Amino acid sequence: MHLSKRLFALGTTTAILISACGGTAATPSPSAAASSAAPSAAASSAAPSAAASSAAPSAAASSAAPSASAVQAPNLKIGVVTDIGTLNDKGYNEYTFKGATDGAMAIGAAAPQSIVPKDASEYAADIKQFVDQKYDIIVTVGFNLTNDTVAAAKANPKIHFVGVDQSPVCVDPQGNPDTTFACKGDAKTLLPNYTSLYFAEDQAGYLAGIVAAYASKNKSIGAIGGTTLCAPCVRYIQGYDMGAKSVTPDIKVTAAYVTNDFSAAAFNDPAGGKAFATTFISTNKPDVLFQVAGKTGNGILEAACQKGIYGIGVDVDQYVSLGAATDPTYGCIITSAEKHVESATSQAIQEIAAGTLSAGDVLFNANNDGIGVSDFHDKASMFGPEVTQALNTALAGMKSGALKTCPATGCGDAKTPLP
Amino acid sequence: MDVIPVINFLYGIPVLGLAFQLVGYLVAILPDNSPTIMVQATPLALAAMTGVICERSGVVNIGIEGTMLAAAFTAWVVGIAVNPIFGNPAPSDIFGITMPLLISLAAAVGVAVLISALHAWMSITLRADQIISGTIINIAAAGVTGYLDQLISKSSPVGAGEFAAFQPPQALVELPLVGWLLNMFLNLGPIAMSTVFLVIGLQVWLFWSRWGLRTRAVGEHPRAAETVGIDVIRLRYQNVMIGGAFAGLAGAFLSMEATNSFQIGMTIGRGFIALAAMIMGRWTPIGGFLSALLFAVFLEISQLIKIAPPTGDLGQVMTSVPAQLWDALPYLLTIVILAGAVGRSIPPAADGQPYEREAAA
Repeated sequence: MHLSKRLFALGTTTAILISACGGTAATPSPSAAASSAAPSAAASSAAPSAAASSAAPSAAASSAAPSASAVQAPNLKIGVVTDIGTLNDKGYNEYTFKGATDGAMAIGAAAPQSIVPKDASEYAADIKQFVDQKYDIIVTVGFNLTNDTVAAAKANPKIHFVGVDQSPVCVDPQGNPDTTFACKGDAKTLLPNYTSLYFAEDQAGYLAGIVAAYASKNKSIGAIGGTTLCAPCVRYIQGYDMGAKSVTPDIKVTAAYVTNDFSAAAFNDPAGGKAFATTFISTNKPDVLFQVAGKTGNGILEAACQKGIYGIGVDVDQYVSLGAATDPTYGCIITSAEKHVESATSQAIQEIAAGTLSAGDVLFNANNDGIGVSDFHDKASMFGPEVTQALNTALAGMKSGALKTCPATGCGDAKTPLP
Repeated sequence: MDVIPVINFLYGIPVLGLAFQLVGYLVAILPDNSPTIMVQATPLALAAMTGVICERSGVVNIGIEGTMLAAAFTAWVVGIAVNPIFGNPAPSDIFGITMPLLISLAAAVGVAVLISALHAWMSITLRADQIISGTIINIAAAGVTGYLDQLISKSSPVGAGEFAAFQPPQALVELPLVGWLLNMFLNLGPIAMSTVFLVIGLQVWLFWSRWGLRTRAVGEHPRAAETVGIDVIRLRYQNVMIGGAFAGLAGAFLSMEATNSFQIGMTIGRGFIALAAMIMGRWTPIGGFLSALLFAVFLEISQLIKIAPPTGDLGQVMTSVPAQLWDALPYLLTIVILAGAVGRSIPPAADGQPYEREAAA
């Protein structure tokens, strides 16, 4: 019996050790950034949007920073706490970290360090590691880290905190994170050292909707979101709907959400996503399908390609990130609705160095190159100059504020029916 | 023979009309999507077979989830490694089978058998707590595949592709009444299509063969089985490893047939739902399969309600309840059926109990 017990303890320990390695990047001390490994695919921000924004100044420099060249602040130490997952997740974690690296380079600071938490219970401890090591700027990635970031910002007023997609910032009158969502406090004045970068997903969706409407032959397009609780997902789809109808007013736009909760089925189930999308396609018969469902969405794109319709990716240029050029599984991607997380993070760091970054919610939209659509890649021949023209017009409208891309009431609420 | 007035009359009956509307809605929309039901049911059914074989011979295996995950990962990785060796062959006409796909499938099943052998060693030879042993497998599989995936997926490698679905002749699919059923079991890839045969074969093997009789004896009363000359330890080892092969198929299905990719944690609890299906099916292969199928049917219905909600009175009733109810529908019904309709589900008497030979004691 002794032997078996000992072996057993050994086995258990091994399992725990192995699983600890599973989130390797979560080394106990902030690990040196593997920035050299970052593939050049990052430079995906996209021909149409780039072409479209010819009237506007180029990416990073377009922000409100007073000086044209980046302020040099070589002594700033920058740390990035990502969400659960990996640093090369081809999504938020990866692009935020790349943005932080760009920003650090622009201000002449050392390359940023990163920690990838293994689970939600580690967020606060991982932020604290950077605090304890006297970092000057701490970037946290994703909505899930909001409360821990706000709490850390309150406790450490001398450190700048940048949260990606943590809006709307909701604090109580003392500046603590408000889990009741009463939001009585003014985050801007209570937490002058905390900024949440958020994006006009509806504008990105609007542009994708324009592309979808031009690609559609049978005047029926679809969109699938991960969960109704994800307001950014809903905004993407609402914008998509309005964008498509701006081109073809009588186009049929159908939308569905895989779940109504934050279970793994919403964003981490490609097999389930593919089955869901297969049913969606055979029932609603769209010929363009827009996915807003993370890894579940990769399955949705697979279903679209298998059923011979077009797919539209989300957040980053998925034609590049999924390797569609060489992998026919994803060969039907015509474009992606992008949030320029990378350029936004880089801008934020440069503005901190210049002392111009405002606290609270900072919006990234068409005006500061916060959103866009991806290059058409091998599908470019499908789209004539009128498509680029329509995208340009829409972008100009968004910049002037004349073009509305989300319903006036119920923007981000899945219960609002598509108009 | 105009049926429209009849239907309108039936739909108009208070309360009961809703039931008719529901039937009408399902008849209109479910048959078109019948193959998806089998796609959803396949990993659950195969994993439930793992549970049936293991527990029938007296070993509890809650490590199915981890075994599936490891198999899914192996199938994907081996495909990436082997595909260039064979020069990226084009898919063949039959199920899109290529040599790399077959090698990946074999590797996935092999890894699953190995992991099950580890579980068998811990729970049979070491007589460790079988729940803990299974938990170790689940945790380790999630960690190891997550770590390796992180290393490999950096360059977006292209895998060996996926098994294609068989396209049944249109005349068969369009047969009245049974066409959609035929479509459900024929418009599938090779793993999903073979599931039905595997389940029937296992049922026959378990209840009408010498091996089956011995397996059941070992699961009910190993001491008695030993006294008539059955090698309990050996039989349990064999069965746990055969069970592992089924979990391997279930995992390979996820990354080679249901999709053509691997994601960290892509099994999302299917191995545990399979255990529920096994219990609901009273530890029989066909019971487990039917339970998985039932779960998949309710899952498909709940998704159809989200994708194309019914119109009319029924639609109003359905949209007035919180949408989360429809997400929970398959799980709720599983609990209800488990608690009520199936009645008392009795596990094998020696389930989960390590066997100690008298001589060794």
